[in-house]
Amino acid sequence: MSARIGVYVCECGPNIPDRIDIDRVLEEISPLKDVAVAKRYRLLCSNDGKKYLADEIRSEKLTHLVVAACSPRDHEKTFMKVCLEAGLNPFLFQMVNIREQCAWIFSEKSEATRMAVKYIRAGISRVTLHEPLLQKEIKATPDVLVVGGGIAGVETALSLAGQKRRVYLVERSDALGGTAARLGRLLPHQGTDMRLIQEKIEHAENNENISVFKGCEVEDIRGFLGNFEVSLKRSGGEPPPEMFRVGAVVVATGFALWDAFDPDVTGYGKIDDVVTSLEFEAMSASGKILKKNGSPPRSVALIHCVGRKEKGYCSKVCCLYSLKFAHQLKDSQPAPDVFEFYSDLCLPEKTDQDVFEEAKKRGVRFLRADDIRVEGRNGKIRIAYRDGSAEEAVEVEMAVLAPAMVPAPDSDRLARMLNIPLDETGFFKEAHSMLDPVSAPISGIYIAGCASGPKSIPESVVQAQAASGKILSVLMLGKTLEPEVKVSTIKEELCTGCQTCLNVCFYGAISFDAFRGVSVVNEAICRGCGSCVGSCPSGAISSKQFTYQQLFKEVMEALR
Amino acid sequence: MTQEFKPNLVGYLCNWCSYAGADLAGATKLEIKPTLSVVRVMCSSRVNSNLVLTALAWGADGVLIAGCHPGDCHYEQGNYYARRRFALLKKILESLDLEADRIQLSWISAAEGKRYADIVNDFAEKISRRGPSPLRNHSKI
Amino acid sequence: MKNESVLILGAGVAGMEASLLLAAAGRKVHLVEKEPMIGGQLIKFEEVYPHMECSTCMVAPQQQAVLQNGNIEIHYLSALEKLEGSAGAFKASVKKKARYVSLANCIGCGACYDPCPVSLENEFEEGLAAARKAIAVPCAGALPNVPAIDPRHCLFLNGKDTQCRACKDACVFDAVQFEDKDETAVLDVGAVVVATGFGLLDVKQNPQYGYGEGKNVYTALEFERLFASNGPTGGNLTLRNGQTPKTVGIVHCVGRSELGYCSGVCCMYSVKFSRFLKHKLPDVRIREFHTDLCVPGKAYQKFFEKTRSEGVEFVRAETVKIASKESRLQVLYQNGGRGEEVFEADMVILSPAMIPAAGAKELAEVLGIKLDAKGFFAGRPGSLSPVETPVEGIFVIGCAEGPKDIPESVAQAAAAVGKILSLIPHEAN
Repeated sequence: MSARIGVYVCECGPNIPDRIDIDRVLEEISPLKDVAVAKRYRLLCSNDGKKYLADEIRSEKLTHLVVAACSPRDHEKTFMKVCLEAGLNPFLFQMVNIREQCAWIFSEKSEATRMAVKYIRAGISRVTLHEPLLQKEIKATPDVLVVGGGIAGVETALSLAGQKRRVYLVERSDALGGTAARLGRLLPHQGTDMRLIQEKIEHAENNENISVFKGCEVEDIRGFLGNFEVSLKRSGGEPPPEMFRVGAVVVATGFALWDAFDPDVTGYGKIDDVVTSLEFEAMSASGKILKKNGSPPRSVALIHCVGRKEKGYCSKVCCLYSLKFAHQLKDSQPAPDVFEFYSDLCLPEKTDQDVFEEAKKRGVRFLRADDIRVEGRNGKIRIAYRDGSAEEAVEVEMAVLAPAMVPAPDSDRLARMLNIPLDETGFFKEAHSMLDPVSAPISGIYIAGCASGPKSIPESVVQAQAASGKILSVLMLGKTLEPEVKVSTIKEELCTGCQTCLNVCFYGAISFDAFRGVSVVNEAICRGCGSCVGSCPSGAISSKQFTYQQLFKEVMEALR
Repeated sequence: MTQEFKPNLVGYLCNWCSYAGADLAGATKLEIKPTLSVVRVMCSSRVNSNLVLTALAWGADGVLIAGCHPGDCHYEQGNYYARRRFALLKKILESLDLEADRIQLSWISAAEGKRYADIVNDFAEKISRRGPSPLRNHSKI
Repeated sequence: MKNESVLILGAGVAGMEASLLLAAAGRKVHLVEKEPMIGGQLIKFEEVYPHMECSTCMVAPQQQAVLQNGNIEIHYLSALEKLEGSAGAFKASVKKKARYVSLANCIGCGACYDPCPVSLENEFEEGLAAARKAIAVPCAGALPNVPAIDPRHCLFLNGKDTQCRACKDACVFDAVQFEDKDETAVLDVGAVVVATGFGLLDVKQNPQYGYGEGKNVYTALEFERLFASNGPTGGNLTLRNGQTPKTVGIVHCVGRSELGYCSGVCCMYSVKFSRFLKHKLPDVRIREFHTDLCVPGKAYQKFFEKTRSEGVEFVRAETVKIASKESRLQVLYQNGGRGEEVFEADMVILSPAMIPAAGAKELAEVLGIKLDAKGFFAGRPGSLSPVETPVEGIFVIGCAEGPKDIPESVAQAAAAVGKILSLIPHEAN
């Protein structure tokens, strides 16, 4: 059967005929090959217009449709729906923009008409090369793997687990809760009470839809959104517990504290009673904030920003937890003198400043300090620092360092296994740092909590819930996945196996089949940008609906 | 002769930023010279030397590639590939003495209707002064 | 049976994200927006920190997706008036003001603007731009690209000229509908998400900042529009008299000490302003006046350091005052131990504190939730989960909950969706 193309020029009221001589356009395109119908209509996007178009498709037995009207950004979807309803594959349709990019910008009617003819001819010659693409459906398992059993991982598991959705929660250590569970107390606006954290952990442990694997690590993950295969290994080296399938993976591996600081500057490891913030939390959790000699400190220095310069970023939460320490110290009897050595106080959340003001009221001394050096002197700790140009020093009995938060160890191994990137700080990189902060660039992999950078506990909880929200809106029970249709395809006979495409694909949608020596596109996760098409030196890759032939047709008409 | 010469230009615009910028130019009724035919692609990284050189070989007087500003790519890094590819192509054209100034890469955001109009008009102006492509009469089409 | 639909108040970046995710999960969404368009504050910004990404390019696809999603019903020019019931079975009364322009008929050609005889201040452009008409879209590129008629100023609707039909006559699509009436829709929903955003402290209230008619003191939002290529000056950074500024002062923390909190984002956007200025006016001298620099997280400090390395001056300043001296401005401030200093500038940009959105108090009453001491919506105390409010089934996201940046707002939106989808699972599940 030969092609029967229907070309419909929308008048868009006066918008198009004011600047384009539509009759002239129709005269020029009517005789073109395969054009069965060429007509004008007052307003195709109106309800009458859509009905008219659907009737035309049926009565004229159109095989292809070209609509010349406004921008495809406005109504491409509208007309694709009309095609679908009228029984025409919606990809056998081409929209031609003769309003925004023609009628509205060219002042001379004859020129605008000439350009409109060009554009419509381009649409006609490309549409005959269109393939009737079909929306694929991919089966998916609703189950989820959560890597990391800290507060973000636990919250994610609790949000996701349900009657028909199993969550596999894998924790490297032998306890859930991560750093949050090791704290002495929470901040006032977080409820102070550590039972909050313990309750969450217990709920996760007791939830029959959550399989908790403590002392385990991920050995291998293969697959893609909806269909990952996971195997675990036990840290002790025993045989792996089991192999299972999940539809999504959440990376919630948390952070570590920077520990590469210079003992000559910080005194850590050299001078008694110089501790890190987490060591202080441990003392606090045990209820005994004591010096090594067993007596309570009569003065304490809290040193912010340890490693900030070296790492090149602010860890966001240290100011606030140092304030928490100050309050805690002031709660004890007798209350010690407390000095906060800071560079810039970072108190970005709405209640943070209250915590600071309260600490000031309780007599905590705030010293803006540069070049801090912690020195041992006669059994005491001397904090030497620079305030502007003046050299100053304070003597204390205990010093608490607030080191920078850094990526969890082994982040790079996990990143390689999942084929997702780390950013220049070594934390996991977000799919989009603004609009998609809890997704990795590869579909089906999500990041929650400090794995993507320093965060407070409530923020980590929010991210965990957010990752759950994203997963629950994609992996719906009883529903298949509908991936992008206009994806890349590789002609195997042309592929030389150079793997350039693997490097340019931001979404990890291309893999290399070593056995056949060719690259393969995973249509389930390709987003159709065409980056690989542009990069392929042998022209083996093509993107559906934007093939070379289709684009060349457009260029040819432009230059005719 | 250049007075009368109307260049025939091809513009590959990325769907997310530059094509939207071109639409905005229209929506705000800016005047653009009718010299450039727009070919929409999803991302500027789709545009490679094959697409550019084919257009030139078929007699285009100039080829414009427009994408999101660096850092703005809808696909995160596509426009960086476009930029590198363009730099390479430009070098090749220069080394072959092939009028490398007939190709141009510009960043145009979805909010830059005015910038789109200016870039297209300036490019048209520049190519008008340059004169017709020497390949015009050898073109197959 | 629990109702699965969700009411979302506010179509800014947080409200849109929540709507799209819920719609993707097959939920019916009622998106209530007070403006005649969607997109919120973000569409006013040309570029956002730290990657200087074009926000229109970022948000326009989101806006289109919201407009084209069959599961999302948008209620423009609307506000929640009454809420009854409880989680899973709320009854929401939404008051909808008349638009007087048919969304179905209007194609956005703009033929009605010119004939309108009324001329009004352009609020979207912070009063910096040429006047707008009584029938208008708030800004070029507004989505949906359908105007609304302002009944307070339309001569026909306010009764000043019962003969005026200028816009109606100009419209060939029969889109102008003077007969439109305000109406109240009663919606059954299972959950409510508050995403009503923020406001900025009104700097006019405090004479120390020298803000006033004709002066070259700008608020942050005014400066965003000044820089925007689709803004009032087409992106030219000029003073009110059209000249180019040679020295610019940027004042952080405007209102911080009075309000008692740090807004978390002003340092970063103030540094962004220096970038804007340096980008367009390479020779401009800039001094930023800050208290504590707040550049939290893994990506922000580098942005600040790069800007400083380009020659922008950063000074720690207290008790900042702006005074006029002839045609120029003076920034008077205390510089720590060095006492009072003066900086002369052609232009001063104020970075005011983010405050609760107008109407937050009234909305809180309607919802039956208390606001916190700062006037923002508050999470459930002691839940560690800021998006949950004390009332089950009501969630708060984005800057309605307190000042925050874009990724935090978006994460909260997805978090509320996570909570809703797990608390009210689909019946079939």
